[in-house]
Amino acid sequence: MSGKKFKMGEMVDFVVVGSGAAGGVVARELSQAGFSVLVFEQGPRLGPADFEHDEFKYFFMSGITVDPKISPQTFRKTEDSVATQSPGMQPALYARLVGGSSNHYTANFWRFHEVDFKERSLLGAIPGTAFADWPITYDELEPYYTKVEWEVGVSGLGYASPFDPPRSKPYPMPPMPVKSSGVLLERGARKLGLHPFPAPMAIASEPFRGRPACVHCGFCMGFGCESRAKSSSLYNMIPEAEATGRCEVRSGSYVYHVETTPNRRVSGVHYFDAAKRSHFQPARAVVLSANGAETARLLLNSTSNRFTHGLANSSGMVGKHLMFNQGAAVHAVFEHELNEYKSIQVTRILHDFYMSDPKRGFYGGGGIDARMNPQPAIWAMSQGGDLPRWGNDLKARLEAFPRSMVAAGHSTSLALASNNVSIDPALKDAWGVPAIRVTYKDHPDDLAFARFLQDRSVEIMEAAGAQKIWRDSVQENTAGVHLLGTCRMGNDPASSVVDKYHRAHDVPNLFICDGSSFVTSGRGQPTMTIQALAFRAADHIGRFAKANEI
Amino acid sequence: MTENERNDMSRRSFLTQGTGLFTSLWVAGQWPGIAAAAHHADEAANSPVPLGFTYFNAADAADVEAICAQIVPSGATPGAREAHAIYFMDRTLATYFSASAPAFSTGLTEFQASFRTAQPQVARFAAADPDMQNAYLKTVDHTPFFETTRMLTILGMFTSPKYSGNYQGAGWKLMGFVDQHGFSPPFGHYDAEYQGFVPYETGKAT
Repeated sequence: MSGKKFKMGEMVDFVVVGSGAAGGVVARELSQAGFSVLVFEQGPRLGPADFEHDEFKYFFMSGITVDPKISPQTFRKTEDSVATQSPGMQPALYARLVGGSSNHYTANFWRFHEVDFKERSLLGAIPGTAFADWPITYDELEPYYTKVEWEVGVSGLGYASPFDPPRSKPYPMPPMPVKSSGVLLERGARKLGLHPFPAPMAIASEPFRGRPACVHCGFCMGFGCESRAKSSSLYNMIPEAEATGRCEVRSGSYVYHVETTPNRRVSGVHYFDAAKRSHFQPARAVVLSANGAETARLLLNSTSNRFTHGLANSSGMVGKHLMFNQGAAVHAVFEHELNEYKSIQVTRILHDFYMSDPKRGFYGGGGIDARMNPQPAIWAMSQGGDLPRWGNDLKARLEAFPRSMVAAGHSTSLALASNNVSIDPALKDAWGVPAIRVTYKDHPDDLAFARFLQDRSVEIMEAAGAQKIWRDSVQENTAGVHLLGTCRMGNDPASSVVDKYHRAHDVPNLFICDGSSFVTSGRGQPTMTIQALAFRAADHIGRFAKANEI
Repeated sequence: MTENERNDMSRRSFLTQGTGLFTSLWVAGQWPGIAAAAHHADEAANSPVPLGFTYFNAADAADVEAICAQIVPSGATPGAREAHAIYFMDRTLATYFSASAPAFSTGLTEFQASFRTAQPQVARFAAADPDMQNAYLKTVDHTPFFETTRMLTILGMFTSPKYSGNYQGAGWKLMGFVDQHGFSPPFGHYDAEYQGFVPYETGKAT
């Protein structure tokens, strides 16, 4: 750990709340542009030596994720029901440490396609939803996708998919070595005339910017990377920000209120230190990158006589339009060993079903990938659909573990005002701060399309020669790790929270950039776009600051 | 637990393989308890003989272990019994999952009582022959108690031996999982014979 140490209460140019995928990028870009930056992270600072191959700790004991004992949340399906506390993994699940969820993500790094930004115009309105175009285009974001690939670090093969959006540069690293699951998905899909291709992954396939290549340990999804090959903010953006000498990352420091002035500007943040002492940190401007759940919560909790419904919430849109993405899995067993517990989760995907097709009778688009969540207990615990639950059938499935894989669909969630993050009226966290309440019920089209993708996955596994196939159940989401849409960007202050530059419509020196900025959900795998948005936002924020326009 | 929660729990899987969408686990994490339990876990891992029970009495342990042995039976490969799943359950219900222990006890008592009603001629579940055990479990395998026992059995078989189950890696042996820090390609049969990615003739599509 290195970098600047600001004095307590010392004025800084920017406070950035959150050190994850977006916060890390914003901090690096603004500090490299010459600004003083103080990053607040509620979780601890950990390093490679702290991460373990221990699925009990990470999946069942909130090892690095938001812990229900200190940061509880509630969940309900609809706004007319009472939310109840979720005692295990939380409905808005994220990693709580320096680097945030970029530590425990699977590292699937698709770019969004052109259509994602203008789909409402192409397809028309969908009644009962807040389906809308983004205020930016793919072309505007393309340079920043390239920046993510080259500076965060993505392995892949450009234009391997005939459906790939335009790109200005090839990937900086070749694709990760293919696994047997990828070979089988490719085999089955090609037989069906589909177009599988090497998965873009934010994992180093060769040494990259001082980090080593992946050692194929198999513990990606849900785990911090012990070899630094996964392109987490902890390993790239944060140390590069600190290296400027103008950025401090203050871990164990939990921002709970954004302060404002009578002229309706932000003046800084109130936070608890590790000993739960409250402090005020002044700043010329504040950037919220705390994730799509915590950013919304912080705004809604930052009420004052100037902002009675929460900060930057004159539209009433803060917290609304939460999107988790949908999906469905197919489990397949083959004749020979795949050994999917080795190496990364995904090596082949296909985007043949990316476009929504009105002829299907429902909205939706997505991708299918070959993968397995390979930790033994998590895998063994899978149930739903027609998977065996116990007895000799379960044991036979367990014994087939080395010969097993999953073909997984990843798909759209429509934006609905009724799906949201709000403040629970009763529950408070260990600091006495009102807790997150998640309200979520999938749109019927999202479930219909997930089933559609599952049918296609079954066909692919059959064509690949699977000996046995089980369908997982297509379920309504009761939790999510993709926390999207809760402070959507838009040109109209009446229907969006931030403008196309991520500036809050209501507050000129408040910027919001993370998954909350999304207008539509994409087809899953949002982190690539979160980071591209963050690079773009930082460019514009820095420009505004230098022009004295903040 | 409310009726809705029970129904919800019976439907949901802990983690959907495909989407990375986590669903909730009703037993709360007890992470601070890890330090307190670590010493015992080390002892258990290093002891050829199980250390005995903390949470269970012997009779209850026998009943629960009999359920575990139906969930993952013994045979040519290890089952829950050989993997010492019961010792994992004992340790976790006494430590990390202690908040859920009263609910588990209530569930076990109800299970035992209902079994006695159904099979009054047999002293207790553990004493029934395996076919009877299997047939009876089919009548209760969607109850929260069974689902919790199923979950704990799997955790006890397949998580790290440092938590007192997965004795000498028996669960990992059953599944063919190799506990190793890293690997090199080829990883399996099909990638070993892969000839490389062939680009599509169509090139860039719009």
